[in-house]
Amino acid sequence: MTRDPDTTTEPTAPAAAPVRRTGWRRITMVAAIAGPGLVAANAGNDAAGIATYASAGSQFVYGTLFFMVLVTIALVMVQEMAVRLGAHTGKGLGALIREQFSLRLTGLAVFCLLLANTGLVVSEFAGIGAAFELLGIPKWAVIPPAAILLWALVLFGSYHWAERIFLIMSLAFFAYPIAMILGHPDWGAVGHHLIVPHMEPHKDFILLAVALIGTTVSPYMQFYAAAGVVDRGAKPADYPLIRTDAILGAVFACVISLTIIIATASAIGGTGPLDSAAQAAEALKPVAGQNAELLFALGLIGASALAGAVVPLSASYAVGEAAGVERSVSRSFRDAPLFLGLFTAQIVLGATVAMTPVDVIQLLIGTQVLQGLISPIVLVYLLVLTNRRSVLGDAANGPRYRIAATAVVVGVAAMSTILLVQTVLGWFSLA
Amino acid sequence: MSVNTLLMSTSARLRDRRVHLERRATASKAVRTSLVSLAGLIGGPVTNQAGDEVGRVVDVVARLYGADSYPPVTGLIMRIGRRRTFLAADAISKVNAGQVRLRTARVDLRDFVRRPGEVLLSKDVLDHQLVDVDGVQVTRAADLYLAPLVDKVVLVGVDVSLPTLLRRLGPRRWQARPTPERVLDWQAIAPFAEQATEGPAEVRLRASRAALHRLRPADLADILEDLGRNERQQLLDWLEPEQAADALEEMEPAELENLLREAAPEHAARLVDEMEPDEATDALRDLAPEEREALLRRMPKSEAAELRRLLTHREGTAGGAMTTLLVTARQDETVAEVRGRLAEQAEHRTEIDAVVVVDAKGHVLCDISLFDLAVADDTASVADVVAWLGQFGPPVVVRPDIGLAEAANQLVAARASSLLVVDDTDRAIGRILADDLLDAMLPERGRLHFRRFLQ
Repeated sequence: MTRDPDTTTEPTAPAAAPVRRTGWRRITMVAAIAGPGLVAANAGNDAAGIATYASAGSQFVYGTLFFMVLVTIALVMVQEMAVRLGAHTGKGLGALIREQFSLRLTGLAVFCLLLANTGLVVSEFAGIGAAFELLGIPKWAVIPPAAILLWALVLFGSYHWAERIFLIMSLAFFAYPIAMILGHPDWGAVGHHLIVPHMEPHKDFILLAVALIGTTVSPYMQFYAAAGVVDRGAKPADYPLIRTDAILGAVFACVISLTIIIATASAIGGTGPLDSAAQAAEALKPVAGQNAELLFALGLIGASALAGAVVPLSASYAVGEAAGVERSVSRSFRDAPLFLGLFTAQIVLGATVAMTPVDVIQLLIGTQVLQGLISPIVLVYLLVLTNRRSVLGDAANGPRYRIAATAVVVGVAAMSTILLVQTVLGWFSLA
Repeated sequence: MSVNTLLMSTSARLRDRRVHLERRATASKAVRTSLVSLAGLIGGPVTNQAGDEVGRVVDVVARLYGADSYPPVTGLIMRIGRRRTFLAADAISKVNAGQVRLRTARVDLRDFVRRPGEVLLSKDVLDHQLVDVDGVQVTRAADLYLAPLVDKVVLVGVDVSLPTLLRRLGPRRWQARPTPERVLDWQAIAPFAEQATEGPAEVRLRASRAALHRLRPADLADILEDLGRNERQQLLDWLEPEQAADALEEMEPAELENLLREAAPEHAARLVDEMEPDEATDALRDLAPEEREALLRRMPKSEAAELRRLLTHREGTAGGAMTTLLVTARQDETVAEVRGRLAEQAEHRTEIDAVVVVDAKGHVLCDISLFDLAVADDTASVADVVAWLGQFGPPVVVRPDIGLAEAANQLVAARASSLLVVDDTDRAIGRILADDLLDAMLPERGRLHFRRFLQ
């Protein structure tokens, strides 16, 4: 039997019977608590996520904390719905949408996902560029080779090793919780802002709030979560465990986000909008001192490169699934023109847009605003699917859950609509 | 690289086959122009004799699992005002591109009740997964084509091309225009409609199902890996357990693990039971202890005991990879008798590579390869063959605890295609075959799965 290199442990392990499995099982047991959480946290902690959270801290100090608590609840519910669909139907979201909605609505969902993900890819390459600029290398010299390297790594199948290196590099961001404590934030104010609702009606706050939604509840995460559950072959019987996973993962991701906001707020809070990656790196000074920028750059490169491959892959996969050609990928990547084309196009487009000489932080937050605008559309699909008894049977949303989930979707949509209206009014200088 | 070349040539072969299929499905221009696109028909008007619109088409009902080689349309579901109603096929006068004309002026309003074998083409088949049996792949129906014949309308083909999806995304007037660039003949399709398998069992195995049974185990394994969970279990149900087990042996370990986990324990136990012992052991090893126990408990006692014994060997050793299926002979038997016993084991032909000769105490004397057995005289005794083979030295045997790399070295040195595995008392406990060694030692073959990026 062929073995999956992922799951192979050294045959020298002393166990008598299932060598590979004991090792892997043990990891899975640990991963059941920390694994998906780690992945989710890293997915949230990509370049754009860091930029958005750091910007929230520097611009509004602790003002966005309560909003992040709301976003956490939204993320928990959304991820739970996605994994419930995966576990109970054994199908990815792309396939479910194709089977349950008309082709035009499928087209809309696919288009939204592609648009949002291309935005994300832009932000990942912008993140790589920003990280190297911190190290003194101009971004035009870095982004094209990085794009080609990433593309080739995935295409020629040696991505595994690279993935591990990126993952380890991105662990640099776990310095944030330490930095938060060492930075001596005003704990009273933090507690106050976590509990007491606080909203500011002006445009900057709403823009950032939508970006926070976008970066936390990004559309691709739902596709990713469902696909992950299906790929692990989870059954409805495994659902309680999966739900725990999803909830812990979502909460964990949001806690990390909160620590980034608090750490940045106590370091540079109130200095207005973030305008450079160097400024964002300030927050890590309590941990790394003079090396804060290096640590920040390292984390940024790892997280961006990690997401830079996974995001376009998961989008291409979801599209392939909706088109019914997903499985050609498992035969040979090079035999799947649609998949390959989409993947290449996203990387090329992402790298090209990231090269434009606009302010990196603004570009990063802009892509998250785009995500925030698209996310309610994808959430509607998710909500409709989980409401359908014909899809989930008894696992469909109950009346109370339905109301809560609808409230979440409406809330997210309302924020996006307010932002859209404000922006359009702004064009006519009415606001 | 050779694996890639193989894949390329396979895909080229599939393409040729597809071209051939297209020609078969759209043989003449007349057929092509008379094809009616199902996607274009849905939502189209239903008119009466006078040409006035009566309602709109909601879905088309066809009997998929009947005796007919092409499924006949048995009726329409149409919307009249806000009401949905079923219209039997005999009320239809003509089906044109994008519209249906009725034979009668008045329509009985009655609800649709599914009869055995009937499916809703738009709801159950269009946009769902199908197995293309000739092309050996899983695909999703982008459009279905109906052909109006003299007295009935039949489903003739499935369109699986991407341009067809774009056509369906386009404006309404594009919809009705058939674009049969990549049409698969219905005969070459195994559909999975969730409601469709309620028909009587004997009519379920249509031509394409029969074709499923002719697929090579490796191809079947690929298809099983590609299907969704329900579809996969349905396909397994259609196959004979022996055939299914052959396919399971060829599956990727991770996919097989998922499949066994999804299946009902009784069914999974039956399948594992049918698998060759070495493959079954590998499969069981991948499961969690309690899942493994659940399957073993449901197997016949002797098989379960054997598998439990095999499971005590470590993976990556000769013991972990060997098969316990051995054909043994005594010295006093004749070659003809041994051949006769081999013939009885035809179902295990891929697992048998040689015959072990043992003495009265069960100690290994010799390992006679099938070649030597084939060229020996019928009347010769096994002892004669053993004596003749003795000139080449004692048989090469290995212990169950040696590593696979070492086993491979020994195999190469012995220039054999399998090695006997013996215990400390020199009794044969199994055989390690060259293909199992290759399987374990070859790097992951040309497969790139999305899961890799998720983990």
